Amino acid sequence: MYRGVLGLIFVSLCLCQAPMQAQDFTLFDRDVQIHGFASQGFVHTSDNNWLTMNTSGFGSGEFTDFGANASTQITDKLRIGAQLYDRNLGGLGRWHPTLDWALATYKFTPWFGIRGGKVKTVMGLYNDTQDLDFLHTFALLPQSVYPTDLRDVTLAHTGGDIFGDVPMSKRFGTLSYTAYAGHRSDSPYSGFAYLVNNDGAVFKSFGGLQYGGDLRWATPLKGLLVGVSRMNEDLTLDFLNGATDVRLNSTSDWTNQYYGQYSRKKLVVDAEYRRYWTDLGIQGVPMIQEDVRGWYVAGSFQIAKHVQVGSYFSHYWLNYPISGLLSSGTGHDYDKVITVRVDPTRFACIKLEGHFMDGYGLPDQYPNGFYTANNPQGFKPNTNALVIKAGVHF
Amino acid sequence: MKHLKAFLVGAGWTILVGASAFASEVKIIANPSVKADSISAHELKSLYLEEKNSLNGTHVEPVIERRGPAHEAFLRDYLGQTDDELQRYYQTLVFTGKGLMPKTVSSDADVVAYVAKTRGAIGYVGVSASVEGVRTLAVADSRGGERQLITRVEPEYPDDLQKRSIGGTVRLKVFIAANGGVEHVDLIGGNPILAESAAAAVQKWKYAAANSKTTMEISVPFDPKR
Repeated sequence: MYRGVLGLIFVSLCLCQAPMQAQDFTLFDRDVQIHGFASQGFVHTSDNNWLTMNTSGFGSGEFTDFGANASTQITDKLRIGAQLYDRNLGGLGRWHPTLDWALATYKFTPWFGIRGGKVKTVMGLYNDTQDLDFLHTFALLPQSVYPTDLRDVTLAHTGGDIFGDVPMSKRFGTLSYTAYAGHRSDSPYSGFAYLVNNDGAVFKSFGGLQYGGDLRWATPLKGLLVGVSRMNEDLTLDFLNGATDVRLNSTSDWTNQYYGQYSRKKLVVDAEYRRYWTDLGIQGVPMIQEDVRGWYVAGSFQIAKHVQVGSYFSHYWLNYPISGLLSSGTGHDYDKVITVRVDPTRFACIKLEGHFMDGYGLPDQYPNGFYTANNPQGFKPNTNALVIKAGVHF
Repeated sequence: MKHLKAFLVGAGWTILVGASAFASEVKIIANPSVKADSISAHELKSLYLEEKNSLNGTHVEPVIERRGPAHEAFLRDYLGQTDDELQRYYQTLVFTGKGLMPKTVSSDADVVAYVAKTRGAIGYVGVSASVEGVRTLAVADSRGGERQLITRVEPEYPDDLQKRSIGGTVRLKVFIAANGGVEHVDLIGGNPILAESAAAAVQKWKYAAANSKTTMEISVPFDPKR
């Protein structure tokens, strides 16, 4: 705990002052770019423990991540690159580095390109950038749509994309499309693995075929973007229950996401809605059904050269078959958030964020931040949280 | 009535020729390997946002300045973004594997030096910067006639063509030097039999001086009933 706090102070005081620059070098007559980032957070909550950390006492600094990538242009149209990512968030990640993305991209024309390998999935406004803290005003993106503990579900696929930008005319703006297909594989240190392992079972794997697309329209109204994403999955959850190997297969699993963003000068307003449906069972007999619907509205404003303020309202709920029997606080989460972000240098940021939550979801089904294993005393209906985060990038 | 007709013709010409060039506080420069004399503002934006990476078949590599008046002017005039927004845009590309950070240098002199030695490089510098060893590209845009036509010479309309009611519109691309003189003219479309006359007249036109070369597309009408 104290190590995390010290890390936060260290990152804030030392690295913020470092003149960090991207590092380039030449390999086989090609320029190779190296970039990286790191962040350290601290979370204190009033009641329930959150995000698999022990946040309700003094708080927790087990909120660290970092990554580094290398990319190069091989030919005029071919580019390759890869990024390693590591995080420790309470019981998640546990300092096990992962290959975040590793891909080759070939762009035939501005309106048609292909990329293959392990690819960050384009979905909604922030799915592919959700780990990149320095790109966002908020320390935690709205958890109704981007639950950080369950990020493996949508984050990346091993497969391929086709993509492009189709300029129409000045009157009609630009359409951008991405279509993808590949394999999803959750880390054994992900949220669902943590849930399974703390439920008396032993997680083996969770993943399968994933395919879908994203269509976004940069409208002729300057600053207005709207889009829609769709993801379909054919999943298998494999775990040991005692000595028995249990395999649950999805009969139906899909996600729809609708989004819009308006930016004008120093103001950015986002809104997104996501519905996630899954039906996992054994030989067609449903065992787990989830119908999760989340949405948020967020706004941020740059009040000074180095200072942004922001706020969002985030809400998700589960249509659970026995929702009528759910107790207060169960099956939903309303999260009201205010944030201040300060960028002391071009390569560093510090964020101070308050969360005021009503509800804790359905911890044994779709945890979304709240896990029974971390709250053995039971859940309180409301949780207030203070999040402090500092990060650097180059 | 005759004066009214002349006024209307003149107004029509003004509208037609006032179409599509504008001046900026920066010059766009390119390595001599880039096979282009001009670039549209839309192409320039697409190159810098990495939506495209070639110009007239040549692979192009953009270079940006870290800060300074030329950088500010370029962001304002061509990209419509702040420096923070542009950096976030590039970082999104870089950290998701969807692009590379453009070469970034510190001054106009560094831009010129890098562009001069790097095949396919394209950059921007302040209008007063020395641009030895690089090619200066004219920029065309549809934002409206900021390059004012000062002197217009009417094209010759051969009598026999007019009597036979042979007319139409000639479309030309005009390359205008910073001092306002017409450097050269390319035929884009229209009646070829009238093109020579139209081009010869436009070569004699004079525009207001500007900070850099520009291009514009114009239409020259030949009306047999005129």
